[in-house]
Amino acid sequence: MKNGALIVAILAALGCVAAALLHANPAWLAGLGALACLGVALAAGASALELRAPDDLREPRRARGPSEPEPLPPDARLPTRAVFGRLWLGVLGAFALVALVPAVVLGRRPRRKGTAWKAGARLVTPEGRPLRADDLAVGGVETVFPEGRVDAPESAVLLLRVNDGDVQLPPQRQGWAPHGNVAYSKICTHAGCPVALYRRASYELYCPCHQSVFAVLLGARPTGGPAPRALPQLGLDVDRDGYLIARGDFTEPVGPDEWWRTV
Amino acid sequence: MIAKLVRFFDDRFGTNAGVRYVLANVFPDHWSFYLGEFALYAFVLLVATGVWLTFVYSPDERTAFASVAALSRGMPVGYVMRQVHHWSAVFFVAAIVVHMARIFFTAAYRAPREVNWVVGVLMLVLASLTGFTGYSLPDDALSGTGLRIADAVTKSIPFAGGWASDALNGGSYPGPFLLPHLYTIHVYFLPVTIGVLLSLHLGMLVYQKHTQFVPDSAHVVGRRFWPDYALRTLAAFALTVAVILVLAAAVEINPIEQYGRYRDWIVTNPAEPDWYAAFLDGALRLGPKTEITIFGHPIPPVFWPGVVMPLVTFAVVIAWPWIDKRLTRDTAPHDVLVPPTGAPWRVGVGAALLSAGVVLTLAASDDTQALAFHVPVQRLVWLYRILLPVGSIGIGLLAATVAREVAVRRKLHGEEAERVVALRRNAQGGFDDEEVQPA
Repeated sequence: MKNGALIVAILAALGCVAAALLHANPAWLAGLGALACLGVALAAGASALELRAPDDLREPRRARGPSEPEPLPPDARLPTRAVFGRLWLGVLGAFALVALVPAVVLGRRPRRKGTAWKAGARLVTPEGRPLRADDLAVGGVETVFPEGRVDAPESAVLLLRVNDGDVQLPPQRQGWAPHGNVAYSKICTHAGCPVALYRRASYELYCPCHQSVFAVLLGARPTGGPAPRALPQLGLDVDRDGYLIARGDFTEPVGPDEWWRTV
Repeated sequence: MIAKLVRFFDDRFGTNAGVRYVLANVFPDHWSFYLGEFALYAFVLLVATGVWLTFVYSPDERTAFASVAALSRGMPVGYVMRQVHHWSAVFFVAAIVVHMARIFFTAAYRAPREVNWVVGVLMLVLASLTGFTGYSLPDDALSGTGLRIADAVTKSIPFAGGWASDALNGGSYPGPFLLPHLYTIHVYFLPVTIGVLLSLHLGMLVYQKHTQFVPDSAHVVGRRFWPDYALRTLAAFALTVAVILVLAAAVEINPIEQYGRYRDWIVTNPAEPDWYAAFLDGALRLGPKTEITIFGHPIPPVFWPGVVMPLVTFAVVIAWPWIDKRLTRDTAPHDVLVPPTGAPWRVGVGAALLSAGVVLTLAASDDTQALAFHVPVQRLVWLYRILLPVGSIGIGLLAATVAREVAVRRKLHGEEAERVVALRRNAQGGFDDEEVQPA
């Protein structure tokens, strides 16, 4: 039994090497390795059982309690305060301040730049194709970026086409949705995941991370889940050639909130 | 040859005394004492495969994903290394949790072993962080989304959050230094710290000796280390590696090449983390949506489930040995374990805590469950919000009741077995029974 297991272990280990040399399927490599280890486990276990060693050996436990060493020799018995006077506290404090300097240098007050959107920037697909106001069918959705800035961080926008007139926006956003094209930041205001799921039937956007729901027709107001505020809306317009353009950058911060981002 | 080497070191450092101490050492034996060893051996495997992986991984945002994805295409050894590394990480944290549950349910953390409990809890936290940072290194769409969430949670910390996030990122998220920083943290800071704590953990164990079930507090009762226990622990090592290799061979874990590279606008669906991070993700899903404002500064909703909940939980867990002292009014040192049936209340508390963890973990896949059971996900969120307190307390009470019941039955059974009765025929033809004191 014991020797059999050890022979299996040796053969499996050699097989593992052979599998590596032959570029075999990884499952063979790991499987043969597992077999080799299993052989070792069996052999060691069998040997341990074979020993029939007693399991009730008794060894006295260490005496507990303070170690109570000899008192310090007289020349080592000067009290701490006599050796380290009050000035030493000052040194400690001053050095602590010095140690703070590198930390403060690292930690500048965070400043968040806006996104890559600028007034007049055309909306382009991730492949860089600019979109006209009627390129999306009603019910359609596309991830868009400002022209020339595809993949720019925090700048991903969902362009959705709904029936013109269905979308209800606050008065200050009049005209932000030409021909039923609405655009919202794709970065969730809860934890920053891309809001990548769209249920066309109910005009709802879903975040796959924590299931926040946003109502497309109501300015992406959160209607479910843990998101605290609406997805920022990107005001749209149509340029002379019929392409969709941004009216400017977002008027609210994109993504999750933080202490230094006063809304 | 070996004798010469032993002599060489003994001459210089007097090592033989220590070696003799270890070899002759008596070690209490019980199947549940191997749980911590499983964790230890998974760590050994993690270091071994991890060192190898540093030679093929490129911690640069332009090449990181490709360097990891290349392992899955035409590099069987690399693929196995990554599979084994990831499975070991999952196994490592699981073994720590199970080991910790054993310590908890048998009250092994009591004096004089409180410090070792604290060191163990810290290692659990560090192991989870190491897992999360490692999981994030391939820069794939799934882990990138996890990082984004972690960044949102970091930023939610009042005052300091934005600074911490910027320092980690080297600028605004996703900054140019994020991957190199994670890499240093994952391959250096965290594993070295775990290594130091692990040495302390084992050092304290050797000095204080292991606890045992045998009720003899004056002696360590068990097996000799050499060769008996050495063979057993070798078997435990080989078994740990075998189990992890079987998992690595049979089940593909985290196939990043199928998720694609991370960009902040691409996400996988479902987006669910590794199991040990799931309770945090579940808490984020169940958490409130209200954002409060202090002097014009927002406290985002992720702060409560993402920062406060884990901090409070781990503070309570770390303080548990001292809470136990308060509850039991017992501060005396103990080397003999309490079986779970010996303290049903402790079983109840442990079961309730574990249940809360399970509910939060389940909540982290509520979207998948909603899809599978055709239930609206918001209804599941409410179900889990209710289950979190009610289910945990209920299961705690149930576990305590079962433990008490088992204890009572065992006691009765034990008393019955020990009772010896002599039957005597009496004059009326019946029997008189008379209790006989066992010798």
